[in-house]
Parts: sequence; structure tokens; C-alpha cells
Amino acid sequence: MEPKLEPIVETFKSREKHMCVKGEGLSIPVCDKASLPGTVTQRTCVYGGARIVLMPITDSIHLVHGPIGCAACTWDIRGSKSSREDLYKKGCSTDLGEKDIIFGGEKKLFETVIELRKLYNPGAIFVYATCVAGVIGDDIKAVCKKAEEVTGCRVIPVQSEGFQDHNKTKGHWIGCDALLDYVIGTREPEKTTPFDINVVGEFNVAGDFWGFKPLLEEMGVNIISTITGDSHVDEIAQAHRAKLNIVQCQKSSNYLAKKMEKKYGIPSIKVNFFGLEQTVNSLREIADFFGDPEMIERTEKIIESGLAEVEHKTDEYRERLQGKTVALYVGGNKAWSLVRAFEELGMDVMMSGTKNGIREDYERIKEAVRDGTIIVDDANSTELARLLKKYRPNLLISGAKEKYIALKLGVPFCDFNHDRISAFAGFNGFVSFAKEVDASVSSPVFDLTSTSLRGD
Amino acid sequence: MHHDKKVTEMHHDKKFSVVNPSKMCQPMGAVQALLGLKNSMPLIHGSQGCSTYMRFQLTRHFREPIEVASTSMNEKTVIYGGEYNLMKALKNITEKQSPSIIAVASSCLTETIGDDMAGIIRKFEDANPDKELPVIVSISTPSYTESHVEGYNGTIKALVENLAAPTVPNGKVNIITGFLSPADVGEVKEILNDLNLEGIILTDTSENLDAPLSESALNLYDGGTTVEQLEDTANSLGTIALSKHVNSAGEFLEKKFGVKLVSGPLPLGLENTDSFIRSACKLADLEIPESMDRDRGRLMDAMVDAHSYNYHRKVAIFGDPDFVSSMTLFTSEMGMIPTVVCTGAKSKRFTEDIETISKEKGCSPVTLAGGDLYDMHKAIKKVGTDILIGNSYGASIADEENIPLFRAGFPIFDRLGAQRISTLGYRGGIDFVDRLTNTILDFYYDEAGYEIVEEELEETLIDHQKFAEEEI
Repeated sequence: MEPKLEPIVETFKSREKHMCVKGEGLSIPVCDKASLPGTVTQRTCVYGGARIVLMPITDSIHLVHGPIGCAACTWDIRGSKSSREDLYKKGCSTDLGEKDIIFGGEKKLFETVIELRKLYNPGAIFVYATCVAGVIGDDIKAVCKKAEEVTGCRVIPVQSEGFQDHNKTKGHWIGCDALLDYVIGTREPEKTTPFDINVVGEFNVAGDFWGFKPLLEEMGVNIISTITGDSHVDEIAQAHRAKLNIVQCQKSSNYLAKKMEKKYGIPSIKVNFFGLEQTVNSLREIADFFGDPEMIERTEKIIESGLAEVEHKTDEYRERLQGKTVALYVGGNKAWSLVRAFEELGMDVMMSGTKNGIREDYERIKEAVRDGTIIVDDANSTELARLLKKYRPNLLISGAKEKYIALKLGVPFCDFNHDRISAFAGFNGFVSFAKEVDASVSSPVFDLTSTSLRGD
Repeated sequence: MHHDKKVTEMHHDKKFSVVNPSKMCQPMGAVQALLGLKNSMPLIHGSQGCSTYMRFQLTRHFREPIEVASTSMNEKTVIYGGEYNLMKALKNITEKQSPSIIAVASSCLTETIGDDMAGIIRKFEDANPDKELPVIVSISTPSYTESHVEGYNGTIKALVENLAAPTVPNGKVNIITGFLSPADVGEVKEILNDLNLEGIILTDTSENLDAPLSESALNLYDGGTTVEQLEDTANSLGTIALSKHVNSAGEFLEKKFGVKLVSGPLPLGLENTDSFIRSACKLADLEIPESMDRDRGRLMDAMVDAHSYNYHRKVAIFGDPDFVSSMTLFTSEMGMIPTVVCTGAKSKRFTEDIETISKEKGCSPVTLAGGDLYDMHKAIKKVGTDILIGNSYGASIADEENIPLFRAGFPIFDRLGAQRISTLGYRGGIDFVDRLTNTILDFYYDEAGYEIVEEELEETLIDHQKFAEEEI
């Protein structure tokens, strides 16, 4: 029999089991359920999930097939950096109108694709289906096929109708499916090496990928493609020739790695370049996978010099951050991948949660956190505010919509999502990470928030 | 598709696609209007992404928590219709949040599947006869017609249609603001205060969207227009719609209750502020107080102080239609030359306004009604501009053209203080003239105060190029 537990914060009856404490009875919250209608959910739609996976492909046009709003609120928001093109930043829409809703939007979609191809000559045009495109029954696959024949340009349908699921994870999968069905395996690399890899689930937010790309290159692996940060579509097309997939964001992209293993026999390992220990482990695991003695030796040298370079650089921050508590409430991956990095700063992760977690995500969180940590699933804005008020962490890590809930309560906040200021991955990234965390936790402005003019 | 000749000219290479939109959808306009209602809960009947992405845009602009609930439609509920989810949402909000008013806006999804929102709301009310329910208003905002501007307009109209109730004359003036910064709404309230005139602000975002650091900011919208005030709109002396594009509620009140309507102009700039003050005083049969002359004199003083820096500077402006047209007038008053004016809404009223201003001021800007930022950028490349006025999405254009971007409008996410950008009235006008002119001084004048002439600019560029070549 399940032990009877006090609810963690006051909420709807059906929501109580979406929060738990590790080590006290239920260690995995109820998850992957539809959000309650009428709550201010922090979740988004399936389209949003597909788009964030694919949008970092920099040489492509991302065309949203729907009324203007879906594109107008989501263009150029990924915070994903490019070293080459900036086509991916454009907000393109078919801007469906009433007539299109009545008579269908296929013709307009076709003309729009042809026009965008003429204007930009992109590596590919990704066409995203929105709610309405689905409801009116536009056959975007057929339109894309025809447009591809006419233009000779890759035109890739993404069946991401927003309402398909309560969980945007499904959107991640749909984005991955578009790559599996239409891109990967469609081009052969000019040369191959025994050490070819893909970096999967790395979106180069704030330039994270550039924090560990040089390390990988120095090791002697050959990066065929990054899926999808700072990538070109033709690079992803060659991904099937890799000998190994390393998966950084396991939340969005484990699915892709598993499918590639099945289809092309490419094994994968999970990596994590947030934090020194995790960076070291990840590099070693990659080297061990290839088992090449020279690579292993080089890797040890890289680790030695990488650690030496940052030694003492975080001392000042760690001194101030020692013993401070942190709450994570994120899309998925960072709910476990950041835990060790915070511990390395001397901080205590007292809460971790996700908006879209599925059971395997919570298994991973449970493994990563200490006993007594609160684990939450799909907390709406009221619940989040109550959690912050009750436990008053010294820092909340979350996204833009949660930011001002924390700040109004005087809880310091760092955006680790799209609006991050600096890159955190790799050895030097850890120093930036420490610096940015310190800038929030230790700022004197938060001491003032509890003062009053009346002196009480 | 486009009425204006100039517009068609500009579109020769792009007819179908929108690239970098300069408009949003109707539900966004609805939410913008609803954020100024006291103790309210806006609810979007649609997929979760609608409310979430709107909250994302609004929260990064205002830097405030933004609460918009969703009916969280999913595949099953789309097949069977949204009744279950909407009923459930109303129940959950009523029980847990107990607001005074729930405003339900539709989305493209629920409009297309044909949900009868008003019917479902009635059913909910009938099912709960013994409970004290909030006022529930349904607003039709199909995202596939018009733009956020019409969403705002329709929302104010729906609120008034549902609630306005004639009792006794109140001596007040209804002000439909349109989507303004909280600072600008505050300025309009100040002006009414100076005129000794009580207003009903539709809707008053000045408190909710520029809230102090306090836990109470997390409660349902703390400040703003009340349900009682909405009811009282039928008893006012008149309605002034600051923006012509959001005057439908005023038309309704005029027709149904004889509340006189004045539509526009937005009190932005000297002449437009004059018109607003004259209309307000005329409606309430008031003398214009002397303090107004003082403020007006100060704005003229600021414009005269700044004139030599602004004279014949080319300016391009984009944003909501009434903002763009009144900014076209204001910058013309300052001696600048509007070269490109762009709004995302396909509005005839907008092109007519620009034509009138052009004739009066002797300018002839490329006019884009229903244009996007791609079109605007093309036009700028053709006719040139020294400064761009608009939201943060103009930053990359400004960067490419090496001109300054003066940020105004929505959304502004790459600078602080969007909630405090003040442009309206004489006082806001002073603020605007100073800041715009200082931006020009920063960019086009050297540290000694001399204008950097074009040859110098070119020389600097050539030097840079040479340097770069030598480096290679």
C-alpha cells in the first residue's frame, strides 16, 4: 500500500501526486498527463517542440504553415548561434486567411515555397504544419513533394499540428522523424574516418557547442554533423556514416539516436558537457568507445590541460555559493544534467522538475538528485509560486515565463534556456556558468527585497 | 490583394510569403486588452502553445509575470469538440482562482472546429445555478482573419456589449487606449486628471504591467479596469478611442446608448495632442486649463531646441497602424522626412491617414499596409533612412543598414524599460523628442558636437577596409 503523504503544496487533488520527495514513498511523480484545462500551464504545443529541434539548422528556411500568430510569436527565439548563415532566424509564414481555411491552403503553401526558394536559395525548406493546417486537412506531404520536384530544393514536411498531444516531447520526436525520413542518409560523405561521430541533441544555445567542439577535434574524432546546432542540412544528410552518436540533450534527441541505431547500426552514448566532472567523464567515454590508445592518451592530456586552465578560476564564486540552494524547473534535460555542475559549485539542488517529463526522464532525475529533493512534474504558475514561497531556494533555474514569478518573490533567477547570456559547456563554459550563477545568487539587490521603508 | 499603388510596386518579388512579420494574431490582441482588467483571468480556448507563446512574448517585453490560462486542447478534444475542456477550464478557474471576470478568447483551432463558446458558457452557468460565478465573456478572435489590432478592438467591444448597462449619467469619459505602454496609459490618466475629468480607461494596464517588486504582483491582476466600470460605460458623456482602429466599442455605445464617439487621433505629437485635449474638453464642456498651455509650451521648447539636429533627417517607422501614422505626423512636425512607413495590418484607414499627413506636410513616404519587415527593408534600401523607429525586430535591419533603431512599440525584448517608454501627450512628447534627438546625436555627431559628414564616414569605412585587407 502506498504511504499516505501530505501534499507538498496546496493544489488540485489530481495534481498532488505530480510532486514528490525522493526517498519518501513515491520517488517518481505522476507524469505525462494532460494539463488541467483552465490552469496557466508552462507547457507549449507539439509544433513548438518540433520547431526547437529543427530551427538551429542555419542554412534552411523554416516555414510555418498556418495563420500568422504561430510564426509571429516564435521566430528567432531559440538563442541558437550560427557561425555561418542566418537564414534560420527569419520568421516565415504562409499567413493563412479565411479563404484558405475554407478552400484549403495547399496552393498558397506551394506558391510560398516556390517564392522562398527563389528569394533565398536555402539548403532546405522545412514546412511546419500547425493546428489549423491539420484541421482543414492540407496534405503538406504532397505539396512538399511536388515543390521539391519543381525546385530541386529539399522541401521537408514536419507534421507538427500543435494539438496532437499534451506533451511537446511528441513534437521533438516529430522533428527527429523529419530528419530520419527526409534528410539522414541522403548524401554520402566525401571521406570517412574510423572516428566519425555525430553530436546529437546539441543546439548551440549561446554557443555551447563551441565550448566542447575544439576538445573533440583535438581528441581526433571527426564530427560529421551536429544535430542540429550550427548545422547545415547537407551535413545532417551524411550523418548515417558516423561510427558513434554522442547525445547531449537526451530529452529531445535520445529518440533520434535510438532510431539511428536501429536503422544504421550506429551506437550512441549519453554525454554531458555541463560541469567539469561530467565533461571529463564524457570525453573519456568517447575515447574509451573508440579504444584507440593514442586517442586515449591525447584525451588525458586534454583533460589535464583543460582542468589546469580553469583551476582556481571558480574559487571566488564557489566561496560565495557554498551551501546555497537551487531549484531547477526546466524543459527536460537540464533537470538532471545540471545537478552535478551545481554540486561542483558547492550548491544543493533541493528541487528539480520538468514541464514535459516522461517516466524515463524522472528515473534519470531520481538517479541524479540526493534524498529529500522535491521532484515536480508540469507545475503550473500557481504551484510554482507556492513551491518557491514555501522552500525559498537561493536560485531558480528556468525559462522566460517563470522568470518574473521568481523575481517578484525575491528569488534570484538564471535563464538557462533560450535567453542565456553565456555558453556553459566544456571547461571554460563551467567558469562562465559559475560566474553567471554567482551574479544572480550573490547580487546585493536581493538583500534589499526584504527591507521596507517602515523599517520592519 | 493590396489597395495601395505604392504597396504593389514594392511587392514585385514577393507575393505569397510573409517574411519577418510585423503583425500578430487576434488572440494576442485580445490578451493585450485583457491584461488591463482588474481581478480577471484571460483564457485562450485552443492549444497550449497559443497561451504559452503569447505569455513568452508579453513577459519578456513587460518583464512582469503574465497569467493567461489555456483550455489545453488535444487530439481527442479536437475530434469531439472543445466543450468538455472549456467547461472544465471554467470550473477550475472559478474554484481555484475565483476572479471577478473570465474572458475567453477563441483561437484558429476552436473557430475552425466550430465550437459555440457562448453556448458552452451558458451551459456552464446553467449547470451552476447556486454558485456565485464570475462574469464570463466570450470573444471571437479567429487568428486567420485580420491581426492583433482587430483582436484588441473586438475584445473591448465584446466586454462593453456584454456588460454596459445604462443607469444614471456619470459625467465621465470612456477612453479606449489601444495597446499602449503602461507609461503612456499613465500619461493619458494624468492628462484627464489635469483636465479635472474622470475617465473610464479601456483597459488600464498602467498598474498591472509596471508592478512593484512584491508578492502581490503574482495575484490575479491587481489593478486595472473593474467590471463595474465596464458596466458604467453606458452612462458616460462620450467615448474617445485614442486609436481609430479600436473604436468598435465606442460605435456600439453611441448607437445603443447615445454615448458620443470621437475616433482618434492618438495623442502623439503636438497637433494630435491638441486635438485630443480639445475633444476631451468639448465632450465634457470644460475650459482648457492653463497648465496645459505650460506643458504644450515645454514640448514646443523641446522641439525648437532639437530642430537643427532633426531637420531633414530621414525616418522609417513600423508598428501598429495608429502609432505609425501619428509618429509620421510627429516626426514631420519635428522637421524630419518620413521615407518608409509600415504596418502589418491591411488597413485602408491607415493609408488614408498617411495620405492626409503626406499632403499636409509635403512628404511622400513609401506606405506599406499589410507589409512585413522584408518589404520594409527592401523599401529602406531603395529610399534610404537615417533612423528606424519600431520594435526589437528592427534591430537586424538597423544593424545591416548601419542606422540607429529607436525602440518603441511591441515587442521590445533586447532593452530594459519597455513598460516605461513614454511618447503620448505633451510630456511624453518631450521625453520622445529628447531621447530621439540624443540617439541622433550619439550616432551622427562627434564628441565635440560636430556633425560627422558623409565623406568622413566613408573615409572611416575605407580605412577599415584597407586595414582589413592588410590584415589578410
